[in-house]
Amino acid sequence: MVDALNQAVETAEAQTDASLPQVGSDGVSAPASPPPATPAAEVKPANGAPAKTSSTGIPEPDRGGPLPPLDDALFPPCALNDRYLIYPSKALPDLNSPQALAYKAEDRREPGRPVFALICKPGLPIRTGLLKELRAQAIRGLLPMLDFGPLFWSPIDQTTIAIVFDRPLGGRMLQSTADRFTRITEYEISKVIFEPLSQAISELATINYAHRAIRLDNLFYMDKERKNLVLGECLTSPPGFDQPAIYEPLNRAFAMPSGRGDGMVYDDMYALGILSLFVLQGNNPAARYSDEEMLSAKAEKGTYQAMCENERITASLIEPVRGLLADEEFERWNIEALDQWLNGQRKTPIQRRPATKPKAPFKFGARDHMTVRSIAQAFSKSVPEAIKIIRSGKLEHWLRTSIDAPEIADSLLEIMTIPKGHEASLDAADDVLVSKVCMRLDPHGPIRYKHFSFLPDGFGVAMAVEYLRKGNFQIPGEVLARDLIGFWATVHEKKTVEISAIERSFVSLRNFARINEMGYGLERCLYELNQTLPCQSPLLNKTYVDHIDDFLFAMDEIADHTDKRSRPMDKHIAAFIDTHFKYDVTPHLKALSDPHEETSLIGLLSLYALMQWRMKVPALYGLSSWLGGLLAPAIGTYHSRTTRRHIEQEIPALVRQGSLPELFDLIDNADRRTVDNSDFEAAQIAFAHAEEEIDGIVGEGIDQKKVALEAGERTTAMMAITLSMIATTVIIFATTM
Amino acid sequence: MARQQVPNASQEDLRRRGRSNLTWILLVLTCLVVLAGPTMVVLFLGMLPTVVAMIIDRTKQKSTTFCVGSVNFIGVFPFIMDLWTKINTFDAAILAVSDIFNLLVMYSAAAFGWFLFLTMPPIISSFVIVLQQRKVAQLRGEQKDLIEEWGTEVASIVEMRKAAKQEHHMEHGVEGAGHHRGHRT
Repeated sequence: MVDALNQAVETAEAQTDASLPQVGSDGVSAPASPPPATPAAEVKPANGAPAKTSSTGIPEPDRGGPLPPLDDALFPPCALNDRYLIYPSKALPDLNSPQALAYKAEDRREPGRPVFALICKPGLPIRTGLLKELRAQAIRGLLPMLDFGPLFWSPIDQTTIAIVFDRPLGGRMLQSTADRFTRITEYEISKVIFEPLSQAISELATINYAHRAIRLDNLFYMDKERKNLVLGECLTSPPGFDQPAIYEPLNRAFAMPSGRGDGMVYDDMYALGILSLFVLQGNNPAARYSDEEMLSAKAEKGTYQAMCENERITASLIEPVRGLLADEEFERWNIEALDQWLNGQRKTPIQRRPATKPKAPFKFGARDHMTVRSIAQAFSKSVPEAIKIIRSGKLEHWLRTSIDAPEIADSLLEIMTIPKGHEASLDAADDVLVSKVCMRLDPHGPIRYKHFSFLPDGFGVAMAVEYLRKGNFQIPGEVLARDLIGFWATVHEKKTVEISAIERSFVSLRNFARINEMGYGLERCLYELNQTLPCQSPLLNKTYVDHIDDFLFAMDEIADHTDKRSRPMDKHIAAFIDTHFKYDVTPHLKALSDPHEETSLIGLLSLYALMQWRMKVPALYGLSSWLGGLLAPAIGTYHSRTTRRHIEQEIPALVRQGSLPELFDLIDNADRRTVDNSDFEAAQIAFAHAEEEIDGIVGEGIDQKKVALEAGERTTAMMAITLSMIATTVIIFATTM
Repeated sequence: MARQQVPNASQEDLRRRGRSNLTWILLVLTCLVVLAGPTMVVLFLGMLPTVVAMIIDRTKQKSTTFCVGSVNFIGVFPFIMDLWTKINTFDAAILAVSDIFNLLVMYSAAAFGWFLFLTMPPIISSFVIVLQQRKVAQLRGEQKDLIEEWGTEVASIVEMRKAAKQEHHMEHGVEGAGHHRGHRT
């Protein structure tokens, strides 16, 4: 038993990478997960450097090795969508993805069908949108995806996403790019590589997606004869996240892996170009460079030149390789161009315009830089030195004299000119200024701020990964607060429709971020930007809720094993609801954010009641009981103790019905509240009257004995007068009769 | 300056009103003496204890005066009736008031009035105190019921009034202290 548990823990640890969330410094805890086994080895460096190097020099991400076997009896198979049985005890390490582990699976409807499942590592955004598309339609040339869904994975005691694929019988094209492999000749490459891969890229493009994981180690043979080559999956991690930097176009390669953005078909074509070059050469021609050097070389010479300057490329392939590796998107080959080439239509090879060489290199960080792009990248790595050299005016001088770019020099001056009185403001901080300078130097590159570099279309994923890793939004929050994306939009000479759309969307995100209330803040930005991200509330850390329809059921389910004194609400839940629930919940969130506990509780109950009513969710016994137990302060808003007792007596019956709208009606009935208020006012007046009367008798400054004596004297006088009148009458009668 | 003028004006007003009342009393008495001289002689001499009581009674209600006067009148009234029903002359009136027995009756009645006034009020006041205590207890009970039903917030109006009173008291206390200091300096 103990051995089995150890096994489970060990496996769970092995399945967890350093990207899993930790408790943040601000106390916000992200989904709890087992601690990473070897954090440093598993975290990809920010520049996307490969985790593995090899004799061929071809980089590949680390996919993890074989895991210790788990006991079948302790970890029975888990059923996905009542159809696929996935065996935790039968790992398939050869089919692992960098962010998902492969296990044997079985199709209950077709028992003989060879399938396998990838279990995603919790705590990393996956491509749910593409998953849904692929479930609806198959893509030729892509590893067939059969089904997916959330699954409670017993080895890590957590719910995560499982994806079932047809098993590639021929296995991976290359078990490891570290091994020398037989080169594919120029005669085979069209048939073996270009045709199947371009088909997959093309079909994905028709549904507006890019693969973004095209690399040599992600190719599989579907048949045992190893004829039918397909692209591996691209679903278990954000776009481009696992790509070694060499496979990425320059602007995306400069960004950190999580900030590379969704990308487009052009990015896939570039990766295809790199892959074809590796396949043709049998090694990485740029292996001699470090990642930074490789990126600088690409920036200065162009990708083709940097990669192929010392290589012999068959003349017939120069054209596609050069076309696919063009650094400018408008020059790069698209699917049509590749199809035309495959059909035998030859084009004149693109002549790369020679880059304008500076009269003198710019020295920074012990390197000579020949382009502004490489300067921008170097600046972002060492801000203190960068700000010194910018302030010294050397860069401005170099821009004016060496590359004749006075307009850039002028705008740098503008950036560095801080209005008087704003010197100490956060907008004038060195990091912000260097970030802006980098943007101006490399407008098409990523936004680089405090080692957080991203393309605007990748901000959402970058933010999610940052939060899931560090447990806070510090840097993304600063990016929004300093309006760096707004500045990025201004550095583009030509404001395209895309740039305007990004600018608009970030204006609204900044507004969300500014509001420090439930349903807003950076949590709201997180869910607005990552519509398929599961709710990150610590309450839901063992479940997987990425759709509003599942939310109430999940809350109902966790109610039984959660501390009932805590509230079923936090900033993540509020933001998740506000993002995904289609009805307006602003008044409810306003009440929820109220500093008064009772108002906040009524807001909470009203929100859940509205959701249950609008979504026509049947009885929620667990959640009703949870909320019912928290309502004491809300009941306390009624003045009348009788009403309170009545409500308290009614609650258990409504909890047994599981109806939140009825519970809400009981707690916040308008008629009952009106009667309570008017009766309370009447009671206050009656109390004050009584007090006045008491004050009149025994109040301050009143001598009760003296008053009583005076009353006695008055009474005696009255008695004497009455006696006198009676006596007088009697005397008159006696005398006259 | 203004504050000093106000009491002076009211005192003057009172004095004027007192003089006016005295004029009226003298006028009425003169008429009564002219119209009912013998009666007035008996009434005046018989009711002397009441006049004394009126003089020594400095209270606003004049309870002593009314008490003594009423009982004193009972002692005087039979002799007035004698005048009215028999011989209504000054001689008869003087004869009536010069009889020591008659005077004893009149003044004994006044003494009984004093006796009533001195003995009855303490007895009545103790009853009044008991009644008032019962009333206070009843009102406190009502307030307790209200608090039980509505909580202590039901007393918020009273609390607010008390706070306002306290504040007013404090402000005036401070002002008063300042005023006194000002005088000293």
